[in-house]
Amino acid sequence: MLEIADIKTSYGKIAALKGVSLDIHDGGLTCLLGPNGAGKTTLIWTIAGILKAQAGSMKIDSEEILGLKPHQIVSKGIVTVPENRLVFPDMSVRDNLIAGAFSRRKEKGGIEGDLEDVLTRFPRLRERSEQMAGTLSGGEQQMLAVGRALMARPKILLMDEPSTGLAPIIVEEIFEIIGGLRDEGRTIFLVEQNAHMALKYADRFYLLEQGRVTFSGEPGAVDHDEVIQRAYLGARKAS
Amino acid sequence: MDYFFFIDLIQSTVDGLLFGTTYALIGIGFTLIFGVMRKLNLAYGAAALAGTYIGLVVFLMFDAHPALVFLASALGSGLIGLVVYLCCFRFTPSNYPMASLLASVGMLLFIDEVVIHASHGLPYPYPSVFRDAIIELGDVWVRGDLLFVFFMCVVAMAALFWLLYRTPLGLATRAVSQQPRAAQLCGIDVTRVNMMTFGIAGVLGGIAGAMTAAAVGVLSPVIAMGLTVKGLIVVVIGGLGSIPGAIIGGLLVGAAENIFLLLRGVTERDIYVMLLLFIFLTLRPGGLFGSAQTRD
Ligand SMILES: Nc1ncnc2c1ncn2[C@@H]1O[C@H](COP(=O)(O)OP(=O)(O)O)[C@@H](O)[C@H]1O
Ligand SMILES: [Mg+2]
Repeated sequence: MLEIADIKTSYGKIAALKGVSLDIHDGGLTCLLGPNGAGKTTLIWTIAGILKAQAGSMKIDSEEILGLKPHQIVSKGIVTVPENRLVFPDMSVRDNLIAGAFSRRKEKGGIEGDLEDVLTRFPRLRERSEQMAGTLSGGEQQMLAVGRALMARPKILLMDEPSTGLAPIIVEEIFEIIGGLRDEGRTIFLVEQNAHMALKYADRFYLLEQGRVTFSGEPGAVDHDEVIQRAYLGARKAS
Repeated sequence: MDYFFFIDLIQSTVDGLLFGTTYALIGIGFTLIFGVMRKLNLAYGAAALAGTYIGLVVFLMFDAHPALVFLASALGSGLIGLVVYLCCFRFTPSNYPMASLLASVGMLLFIDEVVIHASHGLPYPYPSVFRDAIIELGDVWVRGDLLFVFFMCVVAMAALFWLLYRTPLGLATRAVSQQPRAAQLCGIDVTRVNMMTFGIAGVLGGIAGAMTAAAVGVLSPVIAMGLTVKGLIVVVIGGLGSIPGAIIGGLLVGAAENIFLLLRGVTERDIYVMLLLFIFLTLRPGGLFGSAQTRD
């Protein structure tokens, strides 16, 4: 379990996260919803160790890991599928996936097998495995970004808006992939603008508004329409 | 065009292409560092020359075998590359490119000054191999020492390609230069990759410096400016960030320089090389292999 407590992150003088606390439970899909500019991406980059938090704590299985370098976070098993996918454009699909296993490069074997698994999971990546990643479609790049993260054998998979900028039919496909990963018992933390879709798949969710968690619960127990409205537009007044 | 002029032209081009591989190596060094850090290291040429002097010291003190002298030059330059990284790039703020740029200019002046003082500004003999060997291809002669320079530089490039495309460090280096954020998310330690890149670029610069000196049999402090300026011209022509661009650019500058030398003499040669630079800057500022100007 990843326990995040009272995280504060700012850009210069502008506070983007004003004390965020949330838990990511093992085996399940935890969803973070919220309008544009709420601080969702800032939270992801902070967990990944790329942005420095001014205060707070972050514990994985009770071990404090706030302040570790990004590559150390990855070796703790926390692996990110970033906003805008960020594939390596001038590298083949295969090399992108192998780069995803960089933290495991000293392991004997295993990587080839995982590469095979990812290519089996995403047949479109297998067809294009020698193609440069920059030439893939948006949906394919998203699959590649997910596959690259899986190559690190994550304990917790963080995903930042994987459906943004994709055609509706591709969005369905991406959510089916995410649902599939959840059903395998993986731990996923999904950041989404698309609250409608996310609430269908989430086991738990948090609502982030203006740098604060304002609401949380289980999708079955709340009024979806209100959550969706606040996720898109933000609350009239932050609680 | 009369036959002898034609032969002279071919001869100049061949010599220029062979020697141009040293420019290509320097260009590659600038490009590698720019690739991973998106920053220019202006001390690079001076550091390469200072490394070459470490080889010279080994030569003068121990009368070492040329192979050892070249090796000491390469490793010495790699070591100085690491020092330049630590002094000018490691701790300067990453979102303020001017800081490291100016630090590297300071380093360029400092290294230059040290070299001039240590050598009293005088040229020293530097080992040269296959001086007397000549391969005759009809009326065109291929000089043994230049062929050796060419061979060594090509071997260095081949080793670099092997490193970049066949090793985990190479994969990490390519990842950092294409998408540094994503590289971090893959568990790559970007600071370490940056440092290794300075070391590797340094070794390449040392080889280029050693071969520049070996081609003429002397090592002189004035080479520093040549390495810096030619290296920058090569990356502008090839496209900053592109290794194939640096190779083509190096060969092009080497050949063009020698042809200008033949046509216009030594006093005007550099003017025409600068003119070539000017033409590229105006007509094709991204260079031959102009990689994208932006990233992320
Ligand atoms: N690099 C940055 N510099 C300054 N402010 C930023 C930067 N990135 C994001 N912000 C600000 O931080 C807040 C949160 O942004 P972000 O985390 O990207 O939100 P979200 O992902 O929820 O849309 C916004 O107000 C945004 O303007
Ligand atoms: Mg965002």
